[in-house]
Amino acid sequence: MHPALQGLITIIIGVGGCVGYFWLSNLVLDKVLFPPRGPNAGRNINRANMIRPWLFLFPALAALGLYLAYPVFETLRLSMIERDGVEEHWVWFANYARMAAEPKFIEALRNNFLWLLVVPAASTAFGLLAAQLTDRLRWGNLAKSLIFMPMAISFVGAAVIWKLVYDYRPIDQEQIGVLNAIVVALGGEPQTWLQIPFWNNFFLMVVLIWIQTGFAMVILSAALRGIPEETVEAAIVDGANPFQIFFKIKVPQIRGTIVVVWTTITLVVLKIFDIVFAMTNGQWGTQVLANYMFDKLFRANDWGVGSASAMVIMVLVTPILVWNVVNARREMK
Amino acid sequence: MDNIAGTRSALGWAVNLSVLALVLLWLFPTVGLFVSSFRTADQIATTGWWKALVPAEQNLTLRTAPPETQREENGRYVIAGNLFLEDGREPAEISAWGISSRAIDAYRPGETAELRRGGTITVEANGDYRMESAEPFTGSRGQRVFVTAEIPPEFTLENYDKVLGKGVVKRLAVYALAALIFAFAVRWSLRDREGWLVAALPTVAGLALLVALSLVFGLSEGEAEGAQTTDNMSRAFFSTLTVVIPATVIPITIAAFAAYALAWMEFPGRALLIAAVVGLLVVPLQLALIPLLKLHLAIGIGKGYLGVWLAHTGFGLPLAIYLLRNYMVGLPRDIIECAKVDGATDFQIFARIVLPLSFPALASFAIFQFLWTWNDLLVAKVFLIDATGETTVMTNAIVELLGTRGGNWEILATAAFVSMAVPLVVFFAMQKYLVRGLLAGSVK
Amino acid sequence: MKHVLLAGAAALALTAGSVRAEQLTVFGPWLGPDQENVEKVLAAFAAETGHDVRYVGSDSFEQQIVVDAEAGSAPNIAVFPQPGLAADMAKRGFLTPLAEGTAEWIRDNYAAGQSWVDLGTYEGPDGQPHLYGFFYKVDVKSLVWYVPENFEDAGYEIPQTMEELKALTEQIVADGGTPWCIGLGSGGATGWPATDWVEDLMLRTQPPEVYDAWVKNEIPFTDERVIAAIDEFGWFLRDEFVAGGRKAVASTDFRDSPKGLFTSPPQCYMHRQASFIPAFFPEGTVVGEDADFFYFPAYEGKDLGKPVLGAGTLWAITNENQAAHDLIKWLQKPEAHEIWMGLKGFLTPHKGVDPSKFSDPTLRKMNDILLAATTFRFDGSDLMPGAIGAGAFWTGMVDYAGGKPAAEVAAEIQAAWDAIK
Repeated sequence: MHPALQGLITIIIGVGGCVGYFWLSNLVLDKVLFPPRGPNAGRNINRANMIRPWLFLFPALAALGLYLAYPVFETLRLSMIERDGVEEHWVWFANYARMAAEPKFIEALRNNFLWLLVVPAASTAFGLLAAQLTDRLRWGNLAKSLIFMPMAISFVGAAVIWKLVYDYRPIDQEQIGVLNAIVVALGGEPQTWLQIPFWNNFFLMVVLIWIQTGFAMVILSAALRGIPEETVEAAIVDGANPFQIFFKIKVPQIRGTIVVVWTTITLVVLKIFDIVFAMTNGQWGTQVLANYMFDKLFRANDWGVGSASAMVIMVLVTPILVWNVVNARREMK
Repeated sequence: MDNIAGTRSALGWAVNLSVLALVLLWLFPTVGLFVSSFRTADQIATTGWWKALVPAEQNLTLRTAPPETQREENGRYVIAGNLFLEDGREPAEISAWGISSRAIDAYRPGETAELRRGGTITVEANGDYRMESAEPFTGSRGQRVFVTAEIPPEFTLENYDKVLGKGVVKRLAVYALAALIFAFAVRWSLRDREGWLVAALPTVAGLALLVALSLVFGLSEGEAEGAQTTDNMSRAFFSTLTVVIPATVIPITIAAFAAYALAWMEFPGRALLIAAVVGLLVVPLQLALIPLLKLHLAIGIGKGYLGVWLAHTGFGLPLAIYLLRNYMVGLPRDIIECAKVDGATDFQIFARIVLPLSFPALASFAIFQFLWTWNDLLVAKVFLIDATGETTVMTNAIVELLGTRGGNWEILATAAFVSMAVPLVVFFAMQKYLVRGLLAGSVK
Repeated sequence: MKHVLLAGAAALALTAGSVRAEQLTVFGPWLGPDQENVEKVLAAFAAETGHDVRYVGSDSFEQQIVVDAEAGSAPNIAVFPQPGLAADMAKRGFLTPLAEGTAEWIRDNYAAGQSWVDLGTYEGPDGQPHLYGFFYKVDVKSLVWYVPENFEDAGYEIPQTMEELKALTEQIVADGGTPWCIGLGSGGATGWPATDWVEDLMLRTQPPEVYDAWVKNEIPFTDERVIAAIDEFGWFLRDEFVAGGRKAVASTDFRDSPKGLFTSPPQCYMHRQASFIPAFFPEGTVVGEDADFFYFPAYEGKDLGKPVLGAGTLWAITNENQAAHDLIKWLQKPEAHEIWMGLKGFLTPHKGVDPSKFSDPTLRKMNDILLAATTFRFDGSDLMPGAIGAGAFWTGMVDYAGGKPAAEVAAEIQAAWDAIK
């Protein structure tokens, strides 16, 4: 069967199945199990309403449980197991100990902290800046779509784009990378940007910031427009200057949105491996946990340490997780 | 606020300029790649892409005609011709030349050099040369001549022909133009109507025409050099679509119901579930790869489309539920309460009121999910691509191409750009809905 | 009686081949031109046996095969570029031992047969050694590529000994040129070209026994003989010896670096790389005319003979069926080798092939280097465990090219090796 046809059938079955499930299950609930009629009408309505949410939630909960919650525990188990051929032995924390002794792991850990610190903050800040600046511009929408554009580009593509920017040629040749061309034009010496210890991490981060700023900008721009005009007008009447309006009036009102943006970008940062993989593969001190883990899983074939490093990523995100949850709960009240 | 003088005039210029700077900064890298994909390998290696429009001074290694073409004139052996034509290039203006790699600019045009193996060679500024010798020239190849020449800017579609197949770009351009016209016609014919379906229809119609034209008339002008690459790319294209569309539609359907339940239904444990979704939002994808692959195998799904659809669904759900719930919570309470008072069931409220009102949020998530799944490499590699070679995706095809042509910037740039083309088209075509979805924070 | 049995078995095998045509998937690392070549070979096999054969290539073969094997969706035959990985997989029970008698056949028909058997024999999940891999298609790595016309222009002679090569290197610098183009970049595999350098120099500074012990980690990476070999490579890495200086080495793609030979003026005069590299020369380059190679010479003063470093691809059965066994059997025929010999980029240790079948004299010249070798050793990094040979060793060499002292680099690699024991 042609894959396109197969895809079409899947969409029909998948979507039809979902809708059919929701419709049928509701029907059964209302007409068969607890019909809102007869002597127990009132009780039946109450009972049906207690069950209905779970009908709506079931497919999502099943998928979430199977595809996200279960792997967390399975990975935890794998991280405490050593495979010897086909046999599995419990070794508890030996994998973690082995991992902690590796300098590459420490390096990856340090770099991940750097990424988590820099990229979401920078992307959100740039996004907020771009959102505010373009807000009242006549060509603001055009500007926004151009800044947003990198979002549509794959990490593999972005890596190629930025490799061209960072390209290095010896000093006696014409530079074809923009960055080195600028440096040479200013009288400097061309640099191999991706090999400068420590700072090369930031050159990699630039790529992700470049991609994510547009996302942050669009969401934040939407939030800025959602701010009631009255609050801003009141501030203007009170004589606040534009900076005060922005920081004292607007930003506090969109704090919830900023959290969403921050969370989403953090998620992307944690997933980030394509950029590092394609540009340096963790060489020259640019290793990150996700790439370290990929290395362990598929190159060194060491599932124990690979899973252990995945658990470290998990632990690393837990504070953000907790903070998000607390925030979400506060918002709900 | 706009009426208040001073605020605007004081900041107007500064804002305009800084936005312009920001936009240029953001655009510059991509433009570099785009320009490079139309340049020849020689030109990319010689000058930066920002100089693509100015003639470049290039050092070339050219070769005279081989000795077998020599003629005898008055007892001397002669080989003559034009260096550029011999190499299949456009003629250019030579400023210096040489016959040894140690001194590539030893002679001016019109000067004569002594050949190491006997005889002389004269090269003119336009590339005409004449070799003379009393003895016959020997060997199987012509003399190497190093020239320094001003090469005019040159742009080519050759790179695209190599990556996609001969003539594909030209045909695609024609089809796309037809599709665009068709889309506008559809939009025009629906001008009096309103609603989200009307808004989406022109785009869908245009895309459908594009696909239909490509299928009916074909894309390639026959087998090009490296036909295998071409074949793989077109298959990868359809394969990617097959992955992406269900992987976008299914999570939205599931998430919409769940988001409604979490937003508008009262039940014990709701807060806990929302917290769980927020928590799952940050669970790294990498964690799931091996356990899920094992699971898929254990339950007999194996590697294939079904597996990758399910995986993308699972990974996309938290964000989908989270975004949709946040949006649905913002819908006006009165409408929903009113409907409830009128005796509508939750299912009816959901299907008739909440879902249509949530269209902007649904559309925006759809676009995000589309872009993410299209650009994904890791999930496809783990859950889809196996050794049968039946299934691949664009990103993987590009990466494989990079493996074989990694050193060639012109192929690299072109391949990368091809992988970006569809997301970019979708992005620019659908952006309105994306932004609208995010903007419509409240129902007016 | 035995005779009859054998004849019967042969007849059975024949009928099995002709009657039960099976589907056979072959998964390997080759893409591009090599893919077309292997497909021609497999097409001949398919035509002869009636099996339905399909080849799939991947740039990330090493990762993909592991995932597929775990997934139970492994191909029938996997073509490993690295014996180390095959050994891992054999240990985990993903490979099927080759048919009885294959080892004897290799011993009798391959030059240096025992070494090829040893390279393909690993411990299985039962703890017993079995022959899992059959070598088909071999590369010679100890080659130095150059442009004959550039050598002619400058009046340089092809060095016959390492002493001469080093003298030539210094001579080129004295003449105002740059002798070497070295590029270690290779995406996810960045660093591997340097491991070849170190291995080649190891074979030229130490006897093969030391090399073998090093590859098995019987002598540690931190051994002074190993460090000396790394520093020997460092000699070639001096800023004035390498195009772009030492810092360009790690950032230059290995596929890009030979292009420096062909620029005007030439960025370098020599490039040490394996027999496959002409695929990355500029379009239209004719090997033997525009570019040529010489043997990466040995020290005259060390009396270690003429060592050759090489590699090869190992065909193993990852998903057993009759067609897979038939293919391994068929690859033992001289014709199977001669098909690819008539194409490009193929060398073989098979003694029964007709050398006149090589498509060009260059390949024949390479095969001669292979045959003239007094010592043949397999690429050491391919024999080391994946975490070292395709991990710590690569990254270590990148660090070394970046200026880290050899002793530090060696200590780190050794630490990584200790960690996996």
